[in-house]
Amino acid sequence: MYAALLSNRYLTSRVIPMIAVGAVALCVALVIIVVSVMSGFLDMLKASGRTLIGDVIVSSGVGGIPHYDEWLADLRALPEVEEATPVIDTLGLLRMPYPSGPSKEIAPVQVWAIEPASFARVTAFGEKVWWRPPTDDAARDAMLPEDPRLRMDGSILRDGLTLTQASTGRPGIVLGMHVSIGNARQSNGSYLPRFGWFMPGEEVTLTVVPVSESGKISEPRDATFPIVNEVFSGVYDVDKSRIFIPLAQAQQLLRLDAAPLYDTTAEPDGEGNLPLLGTTPARVTKVLIRAKPGVDALAARDAVEASWDAFVARAARRSDRLGRPPERVSILTWEQQLRDLIGPVEKEREMMRILFSIIHIVCAGLILSIFWSIVIEKTRDIGILRSVGASRLGILWIFLRYGLAIGVVGSLAGVGIAWIVVDNINLIHEAIGRDAPRAAWITTCALSVLSLVMALHSLAGRGQLLPGLLWTIASVTLGVITLALLGHRGTLIWDPSVYYFSRIPSQVDWFNAAITVGGGIVFSVIGAAIPAAKAADVDPVEALRYG
Amino acid sequence: MADPASTHSGTLSADSGRTSRPPSATTAPPMLAALEVHRTYRFGQVEVPVLRGASISIAQGEWVAILGQSGSGKSTLMHLLGGLDRPDEGRGTIEFEGRAVNLGAGRSLDRYRNRDVGFVFQFYHLLPELSVLENACLPGLVGGWFGHARAAAARRRAEELLDQAGLSHRLRHRPAELSGGERQRVAIVRALVNGPRVLLADEPTGNLDATTGASILDLIAAQHAQGLTVAMVTHDATVAARAHRVVHLRDGQVVEG
Ligand SMILES: Nc1ncnc2c1ncn2[C@@H]1O[C@H](COP(=O)(O)OP(=O)(O)O)[C@@H](O)[C@H]1O
Ligand SMILES: [Mg+2]
Repeated sequence: MYAALLSNRYLTSRVIPMIAVGAVALCVALVIIVVSVMSGFLDMLKASGRTLIGDVIVSSGVGGIPHYDEWLADLRALPEVEEATPVIDTLGLLRMPYPSGPSKEIAPVQVWAIEPASFARVTAFGEKVWWRPPTDDAARDAMLPEDPRLRMDGSILRDGLTLTQASTGRPGIVLGMHVSIGNARQSNGSYLPRFGWFMPGEEVTLTVVPVSESGKISEPRDATFPIVNEVFSGVYDVDKSRIFIPLAQAQQLLRLDAAPLYDTTAEPDGEGNLPLLGTTPARVTKVLIRAKPGVDALAARDAVEASWDAFVARAARRSDRLGRPPERVSILTWEQQLRDLIGPVEKEREMMRILFSIIHIVCAGLILSIFWSIVIEKTRDIGILRSVGASRLGILWIFLRYGLAIGVVGSLAGVGIAWIVVDNINLIHEAIGRDAPRAAWITTCALSVLSLVMALHSLAGRGQLLPGLLWTIASVTLGVITLALLGHRGTLIWDPSVYYFSRIPSQVDWFNAAITVGGGIVFSVIGAAIPAAKAADVDPVEALRYG
Repeated sequence: MADPASTHSGTLSADSGRTSRPPSATTAPPMLAALEVHRTYRFGQVEVPVLRGASISIAQGEWVAILGQSGSGKSTLMHLLGGLDRPDEGRGTIEFEGRAVNLGAGRSLDRYRNRDVGFVFQFYHLLPELSVLENACLPGLVGGWFGHARAAAARRRAEELLDQAGLSHRLRHRPAELSGGERQRVAIVRALVNGPRVLLADEPTGNLDATTGASILDLIAAQHAQGLTVAMVTHDATVAARAHRVVHLRDGQVVEG
């Protein structure tokens, strides 16, 4: 009762506890803002990373997975699996259409051969194909006037989604957005052709190296494809090297298609033919799987693994030695697959969290020193309270309550500040990117002059030092802000034409915010506890003599 | 509390120490008593014995004045009687209604200070952040964590007593806005708000001019007339003259007359 009365009274009747509240609020806000933005980046990275890989990724060695159609049927029948799609991945060299003239540039690429229809059902390929007409007026208005997409019809998108040049019927190729030098990123995150090189419609020649099941490398083979579209995944490493071609073409080029197998050790028959041993089945090197909605990626992974074991066991019972699947394949969830991409950012975020958590300790120290001085100042009051029967615990509780109040009010204010900042972070970022508006520095300049006048007035008037000093500090601070605003030349910290995102994530990480608030409160109470215990131990007679 | 005689015949709660004196059927034990108390202050190696076997017995309804020179140990004795301080280890007891108070654990001492006695200091000792009314209520708010009912009762009683002390127009003021005499009246109301059996006043007029001091003594006298037991310390013989009985504190001992 009296503890509430006194701690409230102590809290509201002086300025220093307000400073502590402000300090706690700023610390909490800082931690929440930094970690929220980092978490946002991480989520963005994860989201872009998984756009083109589905939920579970099965990868085999160079030998590939034979009878994959059979296994795909198994997979599609699983309750955990929405869809599965076969992929061949290999390395290749791409002869680019530029520069003009006989010698062309060669780009090393990562080739993914896909079945476009099922691939688009497993991944977000369908949404990530870049060149397409705007879907509505709003999208149209948002585009730069030179954007080639403004003059497109739906055919380029259809060609991209089917990996076929509809006008000629030829199989086509889709390039990652930064495979060619032709795409210049703009500050709104869109692309314009650079040096007049607009890729769709141009032809490229892809060279790949077939590798036999036993790992023997054959002569390189090449094929020419028309570029039908480009794709933007949001992960730079993918966009600068990934290309997509139809699965059937890749199987032929890489000799992974179904083929008759002859016994080369036997004598040819009368017509010069070797005896036929059988047919080697077509192969792929990867299978990507999309889990049913609501099914956790790890659960889907386990189901896929069980299905693989069953598939291998079934193949082993067959006499057909040619289509034996490999014993071991790697089966990873998308998160495991993206470990290399996500890991460093996650570690960075943890680093930030730890570094910024130290701020809490600073807060605790601040509160401790403030309370220490309050306890010393209030020693006589504590003696009075003890003399009318307050117990040690009662005194302890006054100051713990006091610390708790500072922690709670400060932390909640901090959440509020963080929420406002994070919610408007893109506006703030843009404002930093512009020169300071004239009104801003004129205002601060005027306020600075006003403060100076007040300083001189109070110094000249009653000769009081403190108000004069405070006004002088205000005047100097405002003056410095004025100079800073005048000198500020717009610099975007994350220029979207350089960095790979056009908006800073602006979602408060509420889980982290809750932890930070908890930390703020706990550390405030810890900071208060030590002076509180000192206060509780005050001997009443000594305390009263003190006053 | 029942009458002192029955208090002595074994109905004591377990948390209080027993006295060493044999129970007497004829004479009731005093309301408050100091028995052979010693109190020594230490300054490093030097020991200053301030009280050297001081004994005083205050009967119910009495008004006793303890007269002594400055530095004679009057405040020290009052602190011992009020449970703010303890005698030297094993050297003397303070008894309240026949029960030793200084042997109890900290908790029962808190209770004793809160309920059984009311203390008035020379320098008023009001809390500057609280209003007059809040200061006066303080002992009512202190005793317990959920004492809303008690707090309300204390508030009513404080208002009543402040009215009697002529302070009803000052309830919302801060102590700093009051004169010395007014502050001491608030302090007396605070001492009385929990309805203690004994009022302990340590030079209640020591900081006041004669007229104001007299009005404070009038206030105490009015309470005494209603049956309150009062022990008052002073170095001023004219102040002591207001009491029924005057004792002297000399050389660390209490001398009658
Ligand atoms: N806490 C203390 N520590 C050391 N000396 C003390 C303490 N309290 C009182 N004294 C000393 O004890 C003596 C008696 O003090 P006190 O009881 O306050 O006397 P009085 O109230 O009669 O003026 C004085 O000499 C004083 O300096
Ligand atoms: Mg004294």
